[in-house]
Amino acid sequence: MTVWTAIVLGGVATYLMRALPLVVTLSRYCGVAEGNTPSSRAQRMLREYLDALPIAVLAALVGAGVAVPDGQLTGGAEVVAAGVAFALASWRRNLLVAVVGGVVVVAALRALGL
Amino acid sequence: MTRGAAARAAIVEGWPVLLVVLIAGAAFGIIARQSGLSVVETSASSLIVFAGASQFASLELLRTGVSGPAVALAILLINARHVLMATAIRPHLAGVPVLRRLGLAYVLTDEAFALGIGWFRRGHRDVTYYAVFGVVLWACWNAATLAGALFGGGLEGTERFGIDFTIPAIFTAIVATTARHRSDLAVAFVAAAVAAIVRIAGASTLAVVLAGALAPVVALRMRRDER
Repeated sequence: MTVWTAIVLGGVATYLMRALPLVVTLSRYCGVAEGNTPSSRAQRMLREYLDALPIAVLAALVGAGVAVPDGQLTGGAEVVAAGVAFALASWRRNLLVAVVGGVVVVAALRALGL
Repeated sequence: MTRGAAARAAIVEGWPVLLVVLIAGAAFGIIARQSGLSVVETSASSLIVFAGASQFASLELLRTGVSGPAVALAILLINARHVLMATAIRPHLAGVPVLRRLGLAYVLTDEAFALGIGWFRRGHRDVTYYAVFGVVLWACWNAATLAGALFGGGLEGTERFGIDFTIPAIFTAIVATTARHRSDLAVAFVAAAVAAIVRIAGASTLAVVLAGALAPVVALRMRRDER
């Protein structure tokens, strides 16, 4: 019973957090829908905030996962490998090259004991 | 670009992520059974919650005797970052009917968000890419969970080969290739650093939400200075 309570309540909460921002049209009421010219300072700030949000969330996922990969502070392998992946992606503009480079570097550094 | 081409692009670009999802899903199935969940409960977790990190955390909490509502609260906190992701992806779903949006919300994961945002920020408008990737990832996770729960065992040591690093690597690459302003890079750096610090400080369930919500403020400051 405990398991089902956790799964159902946790699942409903998770779905609501995924769905509500997609159906409640915050951006339209604030006049920041794509293509509109923002007319007030507040609208312009909201648009810039929302514009920067995806990068912030992605980078936060990376930062948390790279610094503390296994619930323990990294020895540095993951941080270096993330830097390599970033550099490769900026240089070659190719996701696969960056991912393979990052994985190879992290495997090599872990083999060295980092 | 046609819908077929967008769907193919989702698989061609996303297959390394899908591979990791298969491995992690199987691992979840195995560990769930070892933690005392039945096969039905294990699959129900993947079908109803469908959010890897929170599912793994819930196993640990259930195993240590935490009550159902408290476990649900932990799941809520760990998944609160989805509010930010849904908010960020919302402008790109402007033309999609509400019922379809409710379906697309169900397949919103870190990975689908990352790939989808990468696609939209390259100037594409069609949601096919995000929808196809999200649904395929859902199928991979659920199939792998069930397989792991049923057949279990023998999936250890992938960390030695760095397979676990595929997901942070692809997220890093998406940040690098979709940054458009100088301020984007500053936001990314601040978000990564804040999330890392908060997580090291011990508040791992809050790290991503806090860092993700605060870092865009840097962009507001920087762009105002540029004007």
